Amino acid sequence: MKKLLSWKIQLIVLALVVVAEFIGIKNFDLGIGVVALFPMLYALIIGAVISLPKLKLLSEKDMNIAANILGISFMLFVAKLGTLMGPSLPQLMDAGLSLTLQEVGHFFGTIVFGLPIALLIGMKREAVGATFSIDREPNLAIIAEKYGADSPEGRGALGVYVCGTLFGAIYLTILASILANSGWFHPISLAMGAGVGSGSMMAAMTGALAIIFPESANDIALFAGAANLITTIVGTYVCIFFSLPVTNYLYRKLEPVLGRRSRKAENKA
Amino acid sequence: MFMLDKIYTFIIIGAIAIIGNWVGYDVSPIDALPGMLIIVAITVCGFAIEKVLPIKLPVVIWVSFLALLVTSPIFPGNETIVKATSQINFMALATPILAYAGLSFGKDLKEFKQLGWRIVVISLVVYTGTFLLATLVAEIGFRVTGKFH
Repeated sequence: MKKLLSWKIQLIVLALVVVAEFIGIKNFDLGIGVVALFPMLYALIIGAVISLPKLKLLSEKDMNIAANILGISFMLFVAKLGTLMGPSLPQLMDAGLSLTLQEVGHFFGTIVFGLPIALLIGMKREAVGATFSIDREPNLAIIAEKYGADSPEGRGALGVYVCGTLFGAIYLTILASILANSGWFHPISLAMGAGVGSGSMMAAMTGALAIIFPESANDIALFAGAANLITTIVGTYVCIFFSLPVTNYLYRKLEPVLGRRSRKAENKA
Repeated sequence: MFMLDKIYTFIIIGAIAIIGNWVGYDVSPIDALPGMLIIVAITVCGFAIEKVLPIKLPVVIWVSFLALLVTSPIFPGNETIVKATSQINFMALATPILAYAGLSFGKDLKEFKQLGWRIVVISLVVYTGTFLLATLVAEIGFRVTGKFH
């Protein structure tokens, strides 16, 4: 059983939460748009600094406990978002078409954007593991079962997993803020987009969107939660029966074209 | 007993979130307590269902379903539950989660240093892709159906 109990971790989190909430929301106008900093981000960043191995404040064991708690703590957030869904079922049904269709975007988005670029910069079979999904734990299991964790595909998936764990939330928060400020998208479209299927990433993006569109804050949480739930429910099946075969098919078609071009470019350079 | 450490952990996180809700959103802990107890109870029940039932579905589905059920109009007392849980700001509940995420940062740093630049670039592209394409499709859906515009 995964170890969860540590007074040290809980006391640090309590201190982080109090400090973060005390600082509150700060808006910075950078000319190109307003960047919103908010308590979640302070807690994430200060927490990350505390955990730096150089500072020797936390042991490997402490960090593992923090990661274990993270894994289940998200369920409280899910429960809270669920309580927004009950009273809003008609509203969710009303947006049913968009809500269903945008899932195609969640699952296709990683492949459509990721695979061609991965091939262009010279990745081989790693590209399949890296781009077939957002490479969270359930996706890693799928890849490990099919190819083995130490295969090129497994290494690609694990690499994206590690990057996502470390920088996913902060990167997607910045991206969500930029897209929200662009004015191209409706807040609810962005909220649905934020339901990427990873807890901390979704929470951070939802926070950023709720601050930029305060009048729609509750709807943003509602639709981000709903989209995230659908992504999670169908995610495993889609990845096995759709994403992975499609990525492999596209790899076979695209690799001879894009892969060779990248080698030529390297030779010229 | 099974799950006891999980239950403790949810209660501690709930208490921390109540304090954050107080500092950040001026909701007194007394007003927030019933709602947080409901949220913790829903979560614990979700885990219990997942443990007991022979059908293996992710816990997140059970927790969501329970939360949705008890707040939907068909459930007796749903209005009281909705009112109580609305005292908990969802942002206040997310702050401790991101704090745990932060505190586990150092764990994966060693592995990260061994990664090549290509995989770092691609991971950013992958996360951009899933968010951007889903947002784009949702936006098109809304414009076509004329909803929200």
